[in-house]
Amino acid sequence: MVNIGGQEELFKVIGRELNRRIECYAIGGSAMMFYQAKADTQDVDLVFLEKGDLEKIKKILERIGCIDKKELVKIFRRYKDNKNRPIMMAGKNNERFDLFFKEIITFEMSDTIAGRVKEVHEFNNLIVKIISPEDIILLKCATEREKDRYDALRLMEKFDINWDIIVDEAVNQTKLESYLFPVYLYDFLEELKEDFKADIPRDVLRKIRKISEDLLVKKLEKK
Amino acid sequence: MKKSDVKLFEIAKKLRGLQTVSTIAKTLNIKKRTAINYAWKLRKNGYLTTSYARNKIRLYRIDPLRRKKTGYSLYNLINKYSKVKISAREDYIIHSNKEPSVEEVLVRAIDTKEFRIVLASLGLFNKIKNWSRLKEFADRYKIGRQVGALYDVARKTMKVKRMDERTRKALLKSKSEKFIIKNFKSKNFNDVERKWDVFIPFNKQDLEVYEEWSI
Repeated sequence: MVNIGGQEELFKVIGRELNRRIECYAIGGSAMMFYQAKADTQDVDLVFLEKGDLEKIKKILERIGCIDKKELVKIFRRYKDNKNRPIMMAGKNNERFDLFFKEIITFEMSDTIAGRVKEVHEFNNLIVKIISPEDIILLKCATEREKDRYDALRLMEKFDINWDIIVDEAVNQTKLESYLFPVYLYDFLEELKEDFKADIPRDVLRKIRKISEDLLVKKLEKK
Repeated sequence: MKKSDVKLFEIAKKLRGLQTVSTIAKTLNIKKRTAINYAWKLRKNGYLTTSYARNKIRLYRIDPLRRKKTGYSLYNLINKYSKVKISAREDYIIHSNKEPSVEEVLVRAIDTKEFRIVLASLGLFNKIKNWSRLKEFADRYKIGRQVGALYDVARKTMKVKRMDERTRKALLKSKSEKFIIKNFKSKNFNDVERKWDVFIPFNKQDLEVYEEWSI
């Protein structure tokens, strides 16, 4: 586990080691810690838009004592065997780094997500951009761990979530990487509403359900 | 992260919620005096806030999430020095050991290439203490001539300290892009544009916000 102080220290070490500016996006628990919505996290998740940047960070992590964990911890549902697998590095103090390149399994790091970044943190040459709470919720729906449901719930309690962003991005993802993303999102939000009594407006669920049904019908028609 | 910081964070997690000195002492199985010391440390690190109950007993609200924010916000620093205030949609936080100097803030502000931020940065020229340090940062960000040109614009519109001649000459010789903000040119500052070979992104009207502090 790593908390915000520990995470910042790690970023500072990486930033000092870098000889050029590298930008990445913090997602999941790492991003939530910056928003003071989570005390600690198991893994530091970073998304890179340049392959070279990701490789550079991997090398630095190896240099500071992290080891590449070849065996994959199954966090995300719908894992494909080889495609889009993150690089997982484990540190000395049990902290784990998950490094993604452009895609977070079935979710693509779109321009719209980049445009919604709320905070940018500079640690020497390492620039960490924090994705918006709405996008963190969207990413949480791609996982199957129970604690991710609690994380999404906490974000909904802490922030005034703009549900239009969530619906629009779900539709946007169908054009990019994941055609059936709204179906998974509906599943996730419905579960949060029913089992965790999350404050999700009914009309939002209805809207996503309608989009999901239309997508499924279209997919069946193609077959 | 220091071991003591980790320990403090663990204590904050254990004590999450509303506490008094007695309950802290009881939960951690320590003396009241030590509990007061812990409360002081927790407050110093931003985990604890104090309020008072009716019988004047101190109530401590402890939250491991409420950690003192670290780093320096670039926009807060610009607002600290400039008379024209900005409110940015996204915050840019610099994590460094000491607060960035006004010279660094000015150069970083120009380097954002955002209209409102570059406009607010003009107000920072009057706060410059070390001109050679300004040149140093301008070189680092490769915007030497842009800094010089904006200084001349600032000097035309408001009261600004005189730049030392050596820095001015060095800035004139330095290299930088022609556009401060892409495709933005000025109708009114052509003389400055010609001198520095840089396009000024403002017209006279844009600088009316500084009129109050003009010469």
